[in-house]
Amino acid sequence: MPEKEVKLTNEVGLHARPAAVFSKAAAGFSADVTVAKGGQEANAKSIMAVLKLDVKKGDAVTIATEGDGAEDALEELVTLLESL
Amino acid sequence: MKSLRGVAASPGASVAPAWVYNQASFDLPTGTVDDREAEVERLREAIESVAQTLEEQASKTSGELAEVLEAQAMMARDPELATTAEGAIKSDGTNAARAIIDAGEGYAEALVASESEYMAARAGDIRDVCSRIARRCFGAPETDIRAMDDPAIVVATELPPADVASLDKELVMGIATQEGSRSSHTAIVARSLGIPAVVAVSGLIDAIADDSVIALDGDEGTVYVDPDDDTIEGTEKKTAARTEHRSQLLERVREGQSTTSDGRVIEMAANVGSVAELRGALEAGAEGVGLLRTELLYIDRPEPPDEDEQVALLEEMTGLLGDRRLVVRTFDFGADKPVPFLDMEAGPNPALGVRGIRLAREQPELLETQLRSITRAAQNGKLAVMAPMVASVAEVEWFVQQVGRAGGIDANVEVGAMIEVPSAVLVAELLAERLDFLSIGTNDLTQYLHAADRQQGTLSYLQDPFSPALLRAVEQVCVRARDKAWVGVCGEAAGDPAWALVAVGLGVTELSMGADALLEVRVAVGEHSFEECRSLADEVLAAGEAEEARHIAEALVS
Repeated sequence: MPEKEVKLTNEVGLHARPAAVFSKAAAGFSADVTVAKGGQEANAKSIMAVLKLDVKKGDAVTIATEGDGAEDALEELVTLLESL
Repeated sequence: MKSLRGVAASPGASVAPAWVYNQASFDLPTGTVDDREAEVERLREAIESVAQTLEEQASKTSGELAEVLEAQAMMARDPELATTAEGAIKSDGTNAARAIIDAGEGYAEALVASESEYMAARAGDIRDVCSRIARRCFGAPETDIRAMDDPAIVVATELPPADVASLDKELVMGIATQEGSRSSHTAIVARSLGIPAVVAVSGLIDAIADDSVIALDGDEGTVYVDPDDDTIEGTEKKTAARTEHRSQLLERVREGQSTTSDGRVIEMAANVGSVAELRGALEAGAEGVGLLRTELLYIDRPEPPDEDEQVALLEEMTGLLGDRRLVVRTFDFGADKPVPFLDMEAGPNPALGVRGIRLAREQPELLETQLRSITRAAQNGKLAVMAPMVASVAEVEWFVQQVGRAGGIDANVEVGAMIEVPSAVLVAELLAERLDFLSIGTNDLTQYLHAADRQQGTLSYLQDPFSPALLRAVEQVCVRARDKAWVGVCGEAAGDPAWALVAVGLGVTELSMGADALLEVRVAVGEHSFEECRSLADEVLAAGEAEEARHIAEALVS
């Protein structure tokens, strides 16, 4: 299962619009996508689960993907998170 | 009769039956179901229908309200939420309504526990979405605003965004909420629609019964529950007087261009931050936009809007404005107003740090895009652009050069600068020689003149627009810019009729203000000659105290 750690550098973390943008993008892949912070794991396709993680500026999250096109999905989502 | 006090959020008064909006007012079915498959299907249909409605509403609104509605649609379609709720139906035979409410509550409670105010607000969004789905599941009467048939005053703890987005001003005679502030969605939309509103009324919900009648005063921030005859009569008189007053005012100013009584043209423009605000301003008789705050386009976004998006917004506005001028202030960020995509050092004192044009010079890409979009929009509209926080001639020269490089000068875009730093006042003639106009931002200029933080309540006595120092600064700018550039004012002071007369007397020819002040200021200026304004200005400048200056000016208005 490919995974990668990303450090959130934008001001609002994964809260407002970035959470919606990220979740929507994750939902576009057929692979399963999880985002984890400090041992807590969430389904990245669920905006509510992502919000619940409470990811703030400076937090590191681990993105993991599994299934169809897992590698591509991981790469694209990591790029997205880094550009948020 | 009970009399409750809140915060006046949108002006006007009205008397009407209460229409209580209460998200929790339906009784959640407690029973279990036999046909679990059918129940799951029922839930899925309800989710789809609610999500679609929210998406439609999002597409019809703009700005922050649209973003919240979009996020709510995503919450409705959340795969985990559905899985949890469907799981409860399949394993325990829980009815669909109960299942979705319970599933949503799991998330809402976690968010409420977060320290961030933003997250707590999202908890409210989740609860609202789930209760909409639940109501649709068991066909309970819709308790949202669209179910209203008769004119009434809406009473609520707080109105969810989806209801704010569908307020009908033919039916909603007023709004009273127990929570909220002047900057909540409810208050902003109420003002733009001209619906009287009072928010943050403590004890409101407990004080109201289903058959209560309410008299609401959005100017004073009072709510009378089951008012006596005198109060009803008083409020109705006030409503009638207000309607009468407004129609008289409109009648008087409608006859064309705003001028002093002896014909000096004073452009009465509006400060706006969105298309919705612009519509309201035009209805109130705005002759242009004197300040378009473009920051709202950027805040809370992962990346800045591209050129096309900015052109589309500007063109929507010029389409509404016709041949009236749109003054765009380029983005005004600083460490106090951060955005995710700009690197900003907080610095020891953000108000005196890298902000406005200083930031644009360090990171010019954003400005370049913005200026190109302004140039393009100028093909079909009357555009002007001004830089915030200008403190020196070099900054103005750089800015003019940037506008030129983006094609703005060739496209006849007027170029100006905000005058909000004392150094800019002192070199105003040098700036005016290089520009088409100067626009005085009174709030910041007052703060910087007195070296007194405007956020600090105990220093509010140094924030008075009638302060002798500010009035002299306005005089200086007008004198130094004479025959070189036109001078406008786009701070809050422009919306005070008495202050506006003084500004006209000092030589200001454009006043830009909040839409709700336009009528009064237009009438005040129209009732006085330029000579009267000039002698008022002389008198006011002689006053040593803000209080004294204000008295002199207000005496002329009334």
